[in-house]
Amino acid sequence: MKEEIHRLNCYVENKPGVLARIVGLISGRGYNIQTLSVGPTEDGTVSRMKIDVVGDDKVIRQIILQLNNQVNVIEVTSRRRA
Amino acid sequence: MKKQTTQQATGAQTLVDSLAKAGTEVLFGYPGGSVLDIFNCLPEAPFQFILGRHEQGCVHMADGYARAKGKPGVCLVTSGPGATNTITGLATAHMDGVPIVCITGQVPMDQIGTDAFQEADMTGICRAVTKHSFLVQSADEIPETVAEAFYIATHGKPGPVVIDIPKNVQRAFTSAQYPERVSLRAYHPESTASSSQMARFAKLVNEAKRPVIYAGGGVIASGAAKDVANLAHRAQIPVATTLMGLGAFDENDPLALRLAGMHGSAAANYAINESDLIIALGVRFSDRVTGKLAAYAKRAKIIHVDCDPASIGKNVPVNLGIVADVKDVLTTVNSRIKSAEHAAWLAKIAEWMKRRPVTYKPMHPNVIMPQAVIEAVDKVTKGRAVIVTDVGQHQMWSAQFFRHNLPRHFLSSGGMGTMGFGIPAAIGAAIARPDHTTVAICGDGGAQMTFEELVVAVEHKLPVTFIVINNACLGMVRQWQELFYGKRYSGSILSVRGRMANERLEQDLKYDYLPDLTKLAEAHGADAYRVIDPAKLDATIRKAINSGRTSFVEVIVEPRANVYPMQPGGQPVEGMIFE
Repeated sequence: MKEEIHRLNCYVENKPGVLARIVGLISGRGYNIQTLSVGPTEDGTVSRMKIDVVGDDKVIRQIILQLNNQVNVIEVTSRRRA
Repeated sequence: MKKQTTQQATGAQTLVDSLAKAGTEVLFGYPGGSVLDIFNCLPEAPFQFILGRHEQGCVHMADGYARAKGKPGVCLVTSGPGATNTITGLATAHMDGVPIVCITGQVPMDQIGTDAFQEADMTGICRAVTKHSFLVQSADEIPETVAEAFYIATHGKPGPVVIDIPKNVQRAFTSAQYPERVSLRAYHPESTASSSQMARFAKLVNEAKRPVIYAGGGVIASGAAKDVANLAHRAQIPVATTLMGLGAFDENDPLALRLAGMHGSAAANYAINESDLIIALGVRFSDRVTGKLAAYAKRAKIIHVDCDPASIGKNVPVNLGIVADVKDVLTTVNSRIKSAEHAAWLAKIAEWMKRRPVTYKPMHPNVIMPQAVIEAVDKVTKGRAVIVTDVGQHQMWSAQFFRHNLPRHFLSSGGMGTMGFGIPAAIGAAIARPDHTTVAICGDGGAQMTFEELVVAVEHKLPVTFIVINNACLGMVRQWQELFYGKRYSGSILSVRGRMANERLEQDLKYDYLPDLTKLAEAHGADAYRVIDPAKLDATIRKAINSGRTSFVEVIVEPRANVYPMQPGGQPVEGMIFE
């Protein structure tokens, strides 16, 4: 399968340790994060993470499912980046 | 620190109260500087406290308790080395989906990050081996955190949860109360099958000519063993199980294919290979089961039901993936399954069973075969004991030669393959199920990893029989070296007096059987027996098990015995080796 850059949009609870948890989940599987930005949303208890990861569709699907399994992750969406 | 008022309690007391509210009946643990305040509350606690001898042992005890009871195991350890010693235990539970709540002490908050004495970043360290972890920053958070930890440990795919509590938080006062209910904003693991999924499930089964049920630990966790049997009997579908699934289907049933995978029966592996429909229930298609993925179940459509969305399609593409509780799905689907006979298919399977049984031959008339030990225990306990294994050859022989017939009666570290699991997990299981006979089956290698926990069974007068199958080597490592590394037995032979460093032993040796495990068991206060003579095997095992006391049986067995059949890792089913 083709490796492409995927942009993951994660909405997470704004709590200590959540960023480390998300990043660790991705890096611990040997996938390199190309770009990462974290910022607040209008709801101060929710943060948004934009994560660019390279991988084929199967890998990205697995990462999204694992992210969704995290207790602090509210929602994950993804799209291919050109 | 807040001043105490009449309704207030310390964080430590609040923790103990919260654990009780969460349903804790037994707490396994080991004290230390950062949890002294909690330990100070334990003499009045409304639950039993069991003192282990190493924090890894404490977690394995909680794990064995949880697997035997179907309720979360709870443990309590101190900060720093106490916390880091739990990691192997947590990883073991994480892989096998076992609910555990592990409380770790932490240095006071104003010392966190200062390299304080016995400080370790526990929430950081345990991240990859737990389902979730909390660092509690205020005593007010304790009741809610405990409630959430139990909820997370037991909902969705179960797993271990760590609560790290700094010492100053334990000493602070709070009036926080245990919540009536838990509501987590972002974690809603419950998922049910849609009616179209159920309809498709039934249709695939009703159309199948060569169906196989492939049942795993999820069936046991879900309490669905009866429903699996209903499905199997309704449409005469043979049932293969994973290591974690042993006991999910009665192996005395003619439809039982028994263990599938690397050391599974030929019938199970051949059936999966030739099947046109795999009904995978509560499994994750581990590499130990599938062998070469590209060649796995090539002729089959696959239905996969599991509570973990991430396990569906992870290793094997499936035709119908259902994220739901196995029992819930089968309760609905079973009524739509038409009765079938599958006579030709079952005849073919019976032929495989006859031609390739799981069996062994004695290698020397005066030397006990390790498989015979398992058969003896099965005979003495009439197949009703809770069997707890360690990891290695004896584990596979236990999987093969017991006639598993009840859920939660075969407890084994499947995913992580943790040597040292057996002794402490058996203690946890015996405490969880005092009405059952508990037998631990260990090897000499794994037994030495957590031998110190034996004294806990003696202290609490637990009627557990610990059996060590002693082949004076790390049998599974030795087997791989014999088969795949040109018989270069590097590092796998135990108990050789006067050994060389960096040895490469090519011949069978005279072993010294060091340490003397029988004497070691006696030193721990257990009734200890050593068996060398095949004629005395059954009687000794019967005496030990029927004594109702903590007993230890060391059986000296044939060191060259291997586990067969074997489908070597990454090989297709055609690569199975039988002797």
